[in-house]
Amino acid sequence: MTDVSAEEEGVTEEPAFSLPTGVSEGSALDQVATVARLEFALAVRNRWAFALAALFASLSVLVVALGGQGGVVRADAVVVSLVELSALLLPLVALLFGYDAVVGSDESGWLGVLFALPVPRSRIVIGTYLGRLAVFTGAVVAGFGVGGLWLAAQGRFTPAYLGLIGAAVLGGAAFLALSTLLSTLAAEKTHALGGALLLWVWVALVHDLVSVGLIAADIVGPDWLAVFVLANPATAFRVLALQSVPTVTGGMADVLVGSGVTMPVLVAALVAWSVAGTWLASRLVRRRSV
Amino acid sequence: MHAIATTDLTKRYGDVTALDGVSLSIEAGTTFGLLGTNGAGKSTLFKLLVGHLTPDSGTVTVGGTDVTDAGHRLRDVVGYVPEHAGFPDALTGREVLGYHARLRGVPKAERADRVAAALGTVGLDDAADRRVGGYSNGMNRRLALASALLDRPRLLLLDEPTAGLDPLGVAEFHRILDRLREESDLTVVLTTHVLAEVEALCDDAAVLHDGDLLFDGAVGELRELGEGDELEAGFGALIADAGGSRGETVSGAEREQPAPATGDAESGQPASAEVER
Repeated sequence: MTDVSAEEEGVTEEPAFSLPTGVSEGSALDQVATVARLEFALAVRNRWAFALAALFASLSVLVVALGGQGGVVRADAVVVSLVELSALLLPLVALLFGYDAVVGSDESGWLGVLFALPVPRSRIVIGTYLGRLAVFTGAVVAGFGVGGLWLAAQGRFTPAYLGLIGAAVLGGAAFLALSTLLSTLAAEKTHALGGALLLWVWVALVHDLVSVGLIAADIVGPDWLAVFVLANPATAFRVLALQSVPTVTGGMADVLVGSGVTMPVLVAALVAWSVAGTWLASRLVRRRSV
Repeated sequence: MHAIATTDLTKRYGDVTALDGVSLSIEAGTTFGLLGTNGAGKSTLFKLLVGHLTPDSGTVTVGGTDVTDAGHRLRDVVGYVPEHAGFPDALTGREVLGYHARLRGVPKAERADRVAAALGTVGLDDAADRRVGGYSNGMNRRLALASALLDRPRLLLLDEPTAGLDPLGVAEFHRILDRLREESDLTVVLTTHVLAEVEALCDDAAVLHDGDLLFDGAVGELRELGEGDELEAGFGALIADAGGSRGETVSGAEREQPAPATGDAESGQPASAEVER
């Protein structure tokens, strides 16, 4: 300890050691992959992965069971039913799975420990997202896969079912990114949960009604339907999943599928939602006080 | 030679000034205690030291490099144990450190040995393969210390390291720090409310109060500020005096010099030997 203030002489002294001149931190890919592996391992140990898979399996088995034995046409009806149910449940499950990704770690003290490591915060957020996405994807594929296997056993499996699984993975990725963003912005877990539930109410219950209502009331033209579809990942998921079903008739689903948005555009939109949400979270986490 | 130097360091949160022009330097190889009441600015200073916050004005250097320019190189030489360190319950202590070693870029061939060594240093060898969820508060704190030691830091920052620990946990933590001090030239900076901890562990200390640096010197000099040559009395005298002497720092060395012929000196109060920052 110096005897006089640093202002007077401390800062002019030679430092006892110096920081490394080169960037010695681990590679970005390795660090992101390590955080992702860690998140995946935690979700498996905490049985989140199994709970999610069981949820999706129950859903698919229930719908297949209620779909009866009516051949390929009835199999498409099973897919449509599953899509309609998933349009409500998938965003909710993904949002609930991701809302505590950052703020939950912060409250438990784990985020502070991770931030003390020589790892950029953005990599911690991206790794956390990717780890959870891997868990979610595995749960969707395994869970819906059970229903698919049952359909296949009955000789009623159609490509539309594969389309549903693909769309569910993309839709889940988008909502997981949005929940990670909410989690990064929230000061407390309860705030993140509240934000996630409000977002779910909007995307699952309100958005499509408002969109179609605006068009029906001639407030905006029918051309806006495509914009409305792309502006809501839940709607984009729904339309994407229904596009591979040849027998969609009537109701909101028919209106949405008639928006004219092509499959590549829908896929790109869901990917864009995922990337934008994660990117924003990885930027905004720098401002987070731990 | 110093490990840390701050100059006129100021940090505000809105209208609240958390640190107000703090200048101090911390010698390498010493154990330095940062004392203060709640809200004194200790944690803010620590967050500035590890780059979690950026100063509104002034500079903070670690190893001669401005922290704001250091980026993640800083954490190659600094081991930081936050006050509220927590770990996922589902992982074992060894697994936690394994992930940390990998994130720190420890070569694969060295990882297992480095992890085992860190666990041994903090006395967690026997509990290494138990899940962290079953650890006591003290074991958690020691695991956080092990993580900070993994990369063989030159500087160890401990934010309230023994807060909430039972007496046995405190004693164990002190023993570990004593051993670290004996075995290496590690510079240790710790924040604490506990004067006995400073007495037991620290060579030097600084006292912060309402964002101002009130004292900066050897622990023995802080003790001498009060009656009866007790640290508590010295600290109490400083805090009691702080209302009338905001923005002034007592330097231990200045205390030993003849009092300057100023109004303060004539008052006979401890602040009489203070030097203005």
